[in-house]
Amino acid sequence: MIRYALTRLALLLLGLFVASVVIFLTLRVLPGDIAQVIAGQNATPEQVTAIRASLGLDAPLPAQYLDWIGGVFRGDLGSSLLTGTPVVTELAEKARVTVPLGILAMTFALLISAPLGVLSALQRGRALGTGLTVGAQTIAAVPVVWAGMMLVVVFAVWLGWLPAQGFPRAGWADPAAALRALLLPALTIGAVEGAMLMRFVRSATLQAIGQDYVRTAAAKGLTRTDALLRHGLPNVGLSVISVLGLQVAGIIVGAVVIEELFSLPGIGRMLVDDVQNRNLPMVQGELLALTGFVLIVGFLVDLLHRSIDPRQREAA
Amino acid sequence: MPRRPLRAAGALLVAGALVLTACTGGSDEPAPTSSAAADPDASVVIRLVLEPGNLDIRQTAGAALDQILIDNVYQGLVARTADQEIVPSLASDYEVSEDGLTYTFELREGVTFHDGQELTPDDVVWSLETRRDTPEWRDSSRLANVESITADGQTITLTLSEPDSTLLWNLTGRAGIVLKEGDEVDYQTDANGTGPFVLDDWLQGDSITFVRNETYWGEPAGVAEVVFDYIPDNQAALNAALAGEVDVLTGFDATLGDQVEEGGDFELVLGESTDKGTLAFNQTEDSPLADQRVRQAIRQAIDHEAFIEAAQSGQTLYGPIPSLDPGHEDLSDVAPYEPEAARELLAEADAEDLELTLTIPNFYPTTIPQILVSNLNEVGITLEVESVDFPTWLNDVYTNKDYELSFVLHTEAHDFENWANPDYYFTYDNPEVQDLYAQSVAATDPAEAEALLAEAARIVSEDAAADWLYNGASVLAVGTNISNMPSTNVNERLGLAEITKSDG
Repeated sequence: MIRYALTRLALLLLGLFVASVVIFLTLRVLPGDIAQVIAGQNATPEQVTAIRASLGLDAPLPAQYLDWIGGVFRGDLGSSLLTGTPVVTELAEKARVTVPLGILAMTFALLISAPLGVLSALQRGRALGTGLTVGAQTIAAVPVVWAGMMLVVVFAVWLGWLPAQGFPRAGWADPAAALRALLLPALTIGAVEGAMLMRFVRSATLQAIGQDYVRTAAAKGLTRTDALLRHGLPNVGLSVISVLGLQVAGIIVGAVVIEELFSLPGIGRMLVDDVQNRNLPMVQGELLALTGFVLIVGFLVDLLHRSIDPRQREAA
Repeated sequence: MPRRPLRAAGALLVAGALVLTACTGGSDEPAPTSSAAADPDASVVIRLVLEPGNLDIRQTAGAALDQILIDNVYQGLVARTADQEIVPSLASDYEVSEDGLTYTFELREGVTFHDGQELTPDDVVWSLETRRDTPEWRDSSRLANVESITADGQTITLTLSEPDSTLLWNLTGRAGIVLKEGDEVDYQTDANGTGPFVLDDWLQGDSITFVRNETYWGEPAGVAEVVFDYIPDNQAALNAALAGEVDVLTGFDATLGDQVEEGGDFELVLGESTDKGTLAFNQTEDSPLADQRVRQAIRQAIDHEAFIEAAQSGQTLYGPIPSLDPGHEDLSDVAPYEPEAARELLAEADAEDLELTLTIPNFYPTTIPQILVSNLNEVGITLEVESVDFPTWLNDVYTNKDYELSFVLHTEAHDFENWANPDYYFTYDNPEVQDLYAQSVAATDPAEAEALLAEAARIVSEDAAADWLYNGASVLAVGTNISNMPSTNVNERLGLAEITKSDG
């Protein structure tokens, strides 16, 4: 187990290193730079050059990379060229919106997908099962933006229960308001991700139903449902955990779209704004942190999977 | 077979959670009425589209900064009104000498900055000198003709090397802003000015909040707080308005006017603006657009009314100067919509079956390239549309002039100078226009300066130096309980000292 963990850890670090190079280089391919953005539509080339020099953007690329990665090792991801705020500070600030949003979205996705997925598997071939499957297909195909708009129109405009956009300026100092601000965006991501997850739960459940041990349990007198719940579901849970690890990336992508739509001051919107401003130290710091997060989640899921699943332990 | 109660518990939980929060936290705001008196403690929420990257008024370009900071937070010796008139501001009075070489300003006494420091004549001298001598600061070149700035008591004197009919106007903008000498404020994230509002908070990615300056030298602001809520999407902004979360929408879409007015709480307001939808032609030597006939053909192939209809706002514009600016005249006779004439011009120029590329930043409505593609297709020009993000446009089009056709909305007022600058990305180089513009700047009589501008503008249009697809409007949806909301050119300047809100 320890050897396995160490190998996975080494792979994780290698992944992070490769990611840092890829992130750094791809961002440098983007046309335009922040000096041009700051100088705007009436600037002379001299003005742009002066701004570029004052920001240290005229240094050669390898030097810029080493400077950045050296900082990362000291725990300094860089800072904004526009406001001077360190990336870490900014990320921590925006994480207060995006992390709860992600957790809520994930919770909604699970609450929707787990029971409905199992139910639709059990009801396969019947009207309810077919209905659920078709419903999930439909919702999974709906663009997130459209789903969000519909929810806003119903819950914010018609019913007036929840805010249509924005986050309270007081932040989590007003927990009720903050939570209310996140419910619709989280439900939007959760519904779309949940519909995708539900199809997965359904097929995992169907697979479990067909397994020998479920049939054996049923033969020993359990109802088919009981057999599935006691012996099949733990296996379904295992595969769902692996998929959840992948869903994290999906939820981050969803957050980029949803935070823009609901105008939430989170990591997704910050990322879009920073790209728009070519605030590259911010963008590369944010992307590295996000990549690191996704890789670490994957790492933990692998470890968890291995410690839960006896078959994998024995195989080692 | 007995069925376990494996119901759609998840879905129920979700619905339950929504109902619960709705019960505990739902707010029932009374519907606004217009009859009630203005509430001096009111907070007004104004939707804006584009959030500035930082607040550095010294250096960072962009109307997003001018719009909220100038007049509200920062001030100059003079200011411009909503009707684009120049009026005294930090100067109580000013005088221009007959020869146009000496400008004398009487600085107000007893003015303090938001942090309590006093405004001194030396601050004014320092601000203008530093602006003029620091090329990285925005609009620094607009003070190039100012030879010396001196203070004698409260009297500030600007001595010019040659007359400059644009100087007063320039002093109402970035070039004229008065800062505290040696101020230690962090201009990137904070502000310290003399205006009627104090910057209270900037929640990046969300909103900027101003509060009333209680020690303001002039008439105090009509509301206690203004919140600028940055909502990029128009549909989301509409929903926010309908849900009662904002009081005013700026940069709105007039085609959503019926929807926002439906409940009776908002009114759609269309104001004039200096937004010029500019279709630039790269006319450098080896470009197919170097031929004036090809450019003229493109202009005549375009149905300009179609843009106004699609946006349900704005007006046509056939030259470089919009109706709000001096030197404007109706130039519609220069490029009437005549596809047949356009085809003839193209044949004459031996430019049939032309293929051109349009570079356009991705935040403009897609109707703009759509209309262009179909109009130009009518006369045999195939238009390929390359939609890019703004920094890419700045790099490829603005800096490298690597484009054929380009579209951006030029919002700035009084910006004719770009047509007299052969190095600008317009690539338009006509010595006659440059000479007329120089004469206009040097003119000491405003009427003469204006006539010269009009003359130059006509030549620019006749040369088909570019096409102007439309002169945009300031599109606002204003809450019926809001009074004195400015509506002219609000993309450029949004002075809110007089806005009031009734509590209903």
